Amino acid sequence: MATDLRISNISKIYPGCIANDNVSLQFKSGKIYALLGENGAGKSTLVKILSGVISPDNGEVFLNEKNLKLSSPLDAKKNKIGMVFQHFNLFETLSVFENLSIDATEDNKSLRVRINEILKKYNFSIDLDVPVLNLSAGQKQKVEIIRCLLRSPKVLIMDEPTSVLTEQETEELFISLKKFCDEGILIIYITHKLKEVLSLCDEVAVMRKGKVVSVSQTQNERVETLANKMVGQKLAKIKKKINVSKNKDEIFKVKHLNFYSDDPFETNLVNLNFSVKKGECLGIAGISGNGQNELFQILSGEIITPDTSIIFRNKEIAKLNPKQRREYLMAFSPEDRISQAAVPELKIYENVALNNFKSSNFFEKGLVNEKKIKEHSKKILSDFSVNTDNVELKSQFLSGGNLQKLILGRELITAPELLICYNPTWGLDVGAINYIHETLIKINDQEKSTILISTDTEELLKLSDKIAVIYKGKLSKIMPSEEVTPEKLGVLMGGGSID
Amino acid sequence: MSLDISFIGILIGSIMASSVPLILAASGELITERSGVLNLGVEGMMIIGAISGFALMVITDNLFIAIVGSMLSGVIISLIFGFLTQSLLTNHVATGLALTIFGIGLSAMLGKNFVGIPGKEFPILFSSLRESIPFFGPILFGHSIVLYFAFALPFLTNYFLKKTKLGLVVRAVGDSPVSASNQGINVILVRYCCILYGGAMCGLAGAYLSLIYTPQWIENMTAGRGWIALALVVFATWSPIKVLIGALIFGGITILQLHMQAIGFRIPVQFLSALPYLMTIIVLVVISRDSRKIKLNTPTSLGRIFYKEK
Repeated sequence: MATDLRISNISKIYPGCIANDNVSLQFKSGKIYALLGENGAGKSTLVKILSGVISPDNGEVFLNEKNLKLSSPLDAKKNKIGMVFQHFNLFETLSVFENLSIDATEDNKSLRVRINEILKKYNFSIDLDVPVLNLSAGQKQKVEIIRCLLRSPKVLIMDEPTSVLTEQETEELFISLKKFCDEGILIIYITHKLKEVLSLCDEVAVMRKGKVVSVSQTQNERVETLANKMVGQKLAKIKKKINVSKNKDEIFKVKHLNFYSDDPFETNLVNLNFSVKKGECLGIAGISGNGQNELFQILSGEIITPDTSIIFRNKEIAKLNPKQRREYLMAFSPEDRISQAAVPELKIYENVALNNFKSSNFFEKGLVNEKKIKEHSKKILSDFSVNTDNVELKSQFLSGGNLQKLILGRELITAPELLICYNPTWGLDVGAINYIHETLIKINDQEKSTILISTDTEELLKLSDKIAVIYKGKLSKIMPSEEVTPEKLGVLMGGGSID
Repeated sequence: MSLDISFIGILIGSIMASSVPLILAASGELITERSGVLNLGVEGMMIIGAISGFALMVITDNLFIAIVGSMLSGVIISLIFGFLTQSLLTNHVATGLALTIFGIGLSAMLGKNFVGIPGKEFPILFSSLRESIPFFGPILFGHSIVLYFAFALPFLTNYFLKKTKLGLVVRAVGDSPVSASNQGINVILVRYCCILYGGAMCGLAGAYLSLIYTPQWIENMTAGRGWIALALVVFATWSPIKVLIGALIFGGITILQLHMQAIGFRIPVQFLSALPYLMTIIVLVVISRDSRKIKLNTPTSLGRIFYKEK
């Protein structure tokens, strides 16, 4: 029997963030559907609703025109909706068989027979009696899939399934998914990887900022068109001041930046060379997961790579750690505000003190000079219009926008010569985004330089003087931003070439 | 004092008797911890079990009611812990410590009128066999039913955890409450049950002390056995059989060093008194050094607060 899944007007609002804004979609069995969007676009919220983990504030889900009440994961299971989460829902210390038997209704003997049938049918090879923690990520995912298959699902939802897989495992997964699809299982495939959508899926729905912005047949799409839909192709309205830095000195120069990692989930960087002039903003565009994390960590000194040359203010700093680089007046704003830039459990003034300079006399003879730090923190809060003046507040109670302002304030109040930021407006509301954009423009006006690594093309076009695109760890040629269009960026971000 | 074979038999019998409260409390706590809940209130629950068992015996003159009542009192006091940690999401460590302090204080208050009252003789099983068989008699026979239960308990616990569906659910919850919840398991309910079971076993362990081992009520009579039981669970790396071994070693060396002190060994008394703790730790560390097995037995979510996403 054919399956028809319909989502109607789903909304889910979290404090300060609309995760799903009136989402309506329709799926039919026999096809593989892609749900595409950047991080934070609302895909994961939607699939959590479909799998009963969270309840929507509004809206309904229909399976074959039957209105489903999905108030717990059990409801989704009963209604034959199977779900493979991005972060596996497995019990690491239990054996594979125990993991599969935990919600089985049959006895162990017949369950084992059924599991072995599935293993044989789809050519999976997994030892059922080893603990799950001994398995590779790909095998763990297969266990999750088997768990769904045991309940003969009508719908199978895969949330970012390839983010933990090697290329070989990805290919195997695609073969299996196509098989499931032929057997009449409706497959919803959540991803932010464009090529996967094109090679695997029949239809694609693109989500941005909690909304569905487009639904189309994948055969009518290309990498570039999808990239534009995903990141938003609105042209920047306010462009930055005219590029005045043409004849300025180079303040920061990177040569032969190579990075090689054994970890299959890190991206290798291949021979990156670029430079930044005084008062200039270099934008680095790209879809997330193309090496931005690694690049940021190398620039900030968290990772030291051999044979790389980084010249900053005429000094070689490639071997210096982040603290030493800060002393040379570099500043950093990492992507992950909560775990990398700030410690959420600490108070505001304590977070300010974390980034301490020799000159800042926050610490005297090993003791914390609370008064100095608090004064300094108060100044940051007011200078950067953070929505509180209470320096004793724990940082976790700040909204994303206010936390980002605090972090930028902390980094900028020391008047750095170069600020490197990575997705500074990720997940923020429009007001906070504007404030941060103005701040970044102001830095350049004061003859200080910035490197902006961002997945938001709109932001890059608005703020950068020069733009390069990173794709699979390689950097495109560096282009003056007036020559760059969203279309060009889309092509480069998808791995294409514009010459 | 001659070290003949029948004396050794009696010695082993007394070692077994002294291990019973540790085995009971540790086996109960083991189940609680396998579900991911760290209840440091073992000592408090034991002492409450001890006083309520003794008080009920004095009041009703019925040992059965006393035993069941002590377990119920353990359940009730652990219910407080369960409500605080599972429903109000308080910190496990702080709540457990509070429970112990509360239990010790409450038992002292309740027990005021029971100090000095003599206990009642607890029936022992197979007493005739104890006398008639040399060596094995005093080891295997002539004990209370609680002792037989205590020695069966680690094996039952092992069977429960490894072979039954419910045991699997408990382990799953302890491993990853989020995954368990996403699989439709009612994590809070499972944890409540494990906490209450732990409470019942600690209550029984306390009652064993005040009704059977030294039949009387003395303030603070558990004397740190709850803490030893807690430590046993960790050093036994959450394996019920190792808990049994650990409890026997601890009980054994405690009794042995008392005899050594009596005989007058030329070893400082302080060292002899410290010996049970030292040896228990050493032996358990040695028998549980397989780090892979430790990882498989350790409840990953131990002590972490779980709440359901809405």
